[in-house]
Amino acid sequence: MNWRARSAFLATVLAFAMTAVACGSSPSSGGAGSTPKGSITLAGFNFTEGSVLAELYGQALEHDGYSVQYKLNLGNREVVSKAIESGSIDLYIGYAATDLEFYNKGAGEATGDAAANTAKLNGHLQSLNLQALNPAAAVDQNAFAMTKANAQKYNATKLSDLAAVGNQLVLGGPPECATRPFCKPGLEQTYGIHFKDFKSLDPDGPLTRAALANNSIQLGLVFSSDGDLNSLGLTVLQDDKHLESADNVVPIIRSAVVTDEVKKVLNAVSAGVTTNDLIDMNNQAGPQHMDPDAVAAAYLQKHNYFS
Amino acid sequence: MDTVLSVIHWLTNPAHWSGSDGIPTRFVEHIELSGESVLIGAAIALPIGIVLGHFGRFGALAMNVSNVGRAIPSIALLVLAFQIFGLGNVPIIIALTALAIPPMVTNSYVAMREVDPDIKEAARGMGFREPAQIWRVELPLAVPLVMAGIRTSAVQVVATATLAALIAGGGFGRYIIDGFGQQDYTKLVAGGVLVALLALATEAALSGLERVLVPRGIRLLRVPATKQVVFKTA
Repeated sequence: MNWRARSAFLATVLAFAMTAVACGSSPSSGGAGSTPKGSITLAGFNFTEGSVLAELYGQALEHDGYSVQYKLNLGNREVVSKAIESGSIDLYIGYAATDLEFYNKGAGEATGDAAANTAKLNGHLQSLNLQALNPAAAVDQNAFAMTKANAQKYNATKLSDLAAVGNQLVLGGPPECATRPFCKPGLEQTYGIHFKDFKSLDPDGPLTRAALANNSIQLGLVFSSDGDLNSLGLTVLQDDKHLESADNVVPIIRSAVVTDEVKKVLNAVSAGVTTNDLIDMNNQAGPQHMDPDAVAAAYLQKHNYFS
Repeated sequence: MDTVLSVIHWLTNPAHWSGSDGIPTRFVEHIELSGESVLIGAAIALPIGIVLGHFGRFGALAMNVSNVGRAIPSIALLVLAFQIFGLGNVPIIIALTALAIPPMVTNSYVAMREVDPDIKEAARGMGFREPAQIWRVELPLAVPLVMAGIRTSAVQVVATATLAALIAGGGFGRYIIDGFGQQDYTKLVAGGVLVALLALATEAALSGLERVLVPRGIRLLRVPATKQVVFKTA
């Protein structure tokens, strides 16, 4: 390479590098300058349901006269919890069992009782000046799905129906399912289902769906609020012996921001929303590619939150 | 040291030598996936490389196309093939075959090109027809380089077949992916060790095969240089 070609090359590389740096460090919009009353910064997790829930609770607050700043797709729980502890956000919509186990650093306190999980969660949140409000009936937790054909064949509507036929079934889930108490070992101990085999796939992803579809597994780990299960011909078996801890939707808010009115608005949303509502909204926002804000607005409209 | 010991314990634990997740099952799966991919790859790559090398045409094209093939990440191809063909061994074999082809095309092309033109001419002079000239004169001379290409491909494929586990396939990669998911790092390292051992064994086995396939006359050419000089001056 001659001198000119080399400097042109270097300039190109430099330009790319600077673009990358510029993209990486976009200035953060200051959420700290919110007024004491009337303005709430609300974060959503980085998955579709996170945006749906943030819009759902956020629009209810907006309707009540609060000014709401949305930070959708902010990140995972590690990121969102840091943001609320530092006060750069005021509110996020969490999950009772998962958040409990996050703030207690995996102590294993979560049970199948949503109210108990929320109470214990509040015990851990207090020192951080945070609090969890009332949990909703809507649950997004581990669930086990079968094709409708297989459910009919094995005459199964709940997990305890499978104990007798377990030796004909292959269970599929993420690799860790083979060793985690909520998954294969739990199904063996709590339900007495002894599977023919276990197949390592993914957490509720395309591999699990493909394996269920071609019958290389008969039971797969999914999440209870997935929007696409019905359209894929899958049915979730009832967890009749409560193996899974109750991961009910629950708002987590900074104590400095919470007022009786804020509480009232958020608890009213929690009191109404069910797992089926969540499935519908996830289906619209996920497989049907509708905007989460439109999906949430339609739900609130339909259930008279705006009247 | 603890890691080494726990990996040895893992590998020698009888529980890990039976069942659908046992080492023998995973070994057979790994060999099947890599073996089929290398065979299919060879069936595509060797005729192309040998014929193009013999005629000395389109060499740049063949090399460039196969080098582009090298530049495509196997993992991208694997995920793409999964989207099209779904669950099973087909997407894995497609991705591994694509990986196997380039070294075999390049090496067999070069091997045929490198055959001494005088020998080719002598063969023609003795009345060999084209196919017989390729099969009986040029190919035996080209065997060492062709085999080097096959060896490179096979070792790469054996090491890369670990990716199969990403799309629910079998093989030793299962231990690596599952070990990561289960935070069982002993299993993960044991899987890596098994893959490395299998890759080395593949290299050794194919070197042995090469020794058998290289004609005696050419083996004589490879004796130390001093003796070779004596040969030529004699």
